[in-house]
Amino acid sequence: MRIAGFVPELLRHLFKKPATVDYPFRKLEVPKDFRGTPFLHPETCIVCRACERDCPAEAIEIVEVNAAEKRFKMTIHNDRCVHCAQCVDSCPTDAMEMDDKFEISAFSRWDLKEEWEYVRAVVKPKPAAPAPQAAPAAPVSPSPVKPSESET
Amino acid sequence: MKFQIPIGPQHPALKEPISLRMTVEGEVIRDADLRLGYNHRGIEKLAEERTYLQNIYLTERICGICSHSHTTCFVQGVEALLEVVAPRRGQFLRYLVAELERVHSHLLWLGVAGHEAGFDSFFMYTWRDREVVMDILEMISGNRVHYAINTLGGVRRDIDEALRTKILDSLGILRARTDYYFKLGANEPSFVGRLAGVGRLSKEDALALCAVGPTARASGVAHDVRRDDPYGIYGEIPFEVCTADSCDVLGRTVVRIKELGQSYNIIEYLLRNLPDGPVAVKAPRRAKPGEVVSRDEAPRGENIHYIKANGSDKPERLKVRAPTLANYAATLARLKNGFIADIPLIFAAIDPCICCAERTVELIDGRSGRPTVVRWSDLRRRAARRAGRVSKKRNVECPL
Ligand code: SF4
Ligand code: SF4
Repeated sequence: MRIAGFVPELLRHLFKKPATVDYPFRKLEVPKDFRGTPFLHPETCIVCRACERDCPAEAIEIVEVNAAEKRFKMTIHNDRCVHCAQCVDSCPTDAMEMDDKFEISAFSRWDLKEEWEYVRAVVKPKPAAPAPQAAPAAPVSPSPVKPSESET
Repeated sequence: MKFQIPIGPQHPALKEPISLRMTVEGEVIRDADLRLGYNHRGIEKLAEERTYLQNIYLTERICGICSHSHTTCFVQGVEALLEVVAPRRGQFLRYLVAELERVHSHLLWLGVAGHEAGFDSFFMYTWRDREVVMDILEMISGNRVHYAINTLGGVRRDIDEALRTKILDSLGILRARTDYYFKLGANEPSFVGRLAGVGRLSKEDALALCAVGPTARASGVAHDVRRDDPYGIYGEIPFEVCTADSCDVLGRTVVRIKELGQSYNIIEYLLRNLPDGPVAVKAPRRAKPGEVVSRDEAPRGENIHYIKANGSDKPERLKVRAPTLANYAATLARLKNGFIADIPLIFAAIDPCICCAERTVELIDGRSGRPTVVRWSDLRRRAARRAGRVSKKRNVECPL
């Protein structure tokens, strides 16, 4: 190749559209299974604490608000969350889910906290032989009958 | 006259916090020394307090670029301890992501090499084409950088037929672009003139200094863990180990571009022969006491994890030998008798990952020459003594 053998390629690119998008005005689509921010469906949470135990960033905190009413409060500390979706995989009742938001910066880390207060649900956990969709979750989903073990 | 000049840990010419001490005579480097520890994060210690499952996400964060290599290495080791074997489809997907990661890492490196050599158009083009791989990785795993696809006993996500076809189609674009880069990288006189003969490392030195990965292969040492000690399904995949004999930065460029071609072939093989079945099996949480050494070929070379289990659900010890650490000795040898202006290029040629390779320091007593142990209480006392000397900042609010 001669010196400046690169020039034809450069010229060709002069007439191409830019490879980037004007970000704040136009946004790229995220893929279907994007791992955004975790959130809870409180109506199906059985408070087995599997998510709390498996979260690698210790971002999930479940506290009992009222023992008699079986009221619990879950806090997801999004300032600590590493968006790994392990809580989604660990949850036996699919109460955890990831959304597709990626613009989640805030001025203070305290603004990144999300809380749910709810009554413990009585839901049957997923069947032992999971559907193909749930298959990846199988190796980590703990059986929900052992919640006490995780607390110790 | 000789001078010693410090370079780094914060230096505008370096992208990562390397700390070098150079003894120079004029423009020529006579001696080079490396200081580790600036970016030490204590990951090995932290791993002892996390369960095996949580540690997958921790080891992923050892490195931002070869994140999958570290989890693969860790997961392979833990699976051996837990006595589970990932199903075949799971293994195919695991090593599919590993090869895609190699492609993205090598394309990234090509761009960095172009940038360090002053060829910024090359940098722009390779990084644009790298987006093709990044998009595929994002579609497979849900994230661009930390794929989090490995789990104990397999992988966490499956791919469908549409995605499989899409990856196979994208390979066409990548192959065409890589051929073009090969032509350009190996023939463009200004680029070749900048890279050829810089940072020479002879075959004997590469062997003696235990260089790994493309650094060693560019010196004619045909070492590749995928072939020498096949892990997972690599034993059945046909591929070649690419080497070069020029022993310089140009050779490292050529090796990496050739390896890109091999990776495309491996990806195609994996996708065309993808077996049916589950992608993961259930793994126990506790491992029987034992120890294991796991290795894999990261894009930068051989990666080693040593895991010791004590019967609980947490490892007793995790030791990580990242490829950059193995390449440091060879890099220092290559810096000697080179020019100061070549430092970024020579360092870039091993594709250094500084935080992968950071280690804590040992304190050596200056008088007796013996290593000393500093306790936490000593450190606090020293800090307090030091703090006593500086004027107090008033009304400082601690944010945490
Ligand atoms: S996504 Fe990961 S880090 Fe975030 S809350 Fe769930 S388990 Fe924890
Ligand atoms: S794992 Fe699911 S059901 Fe269990 S506490 Fe977490 S969200 Fe609730």
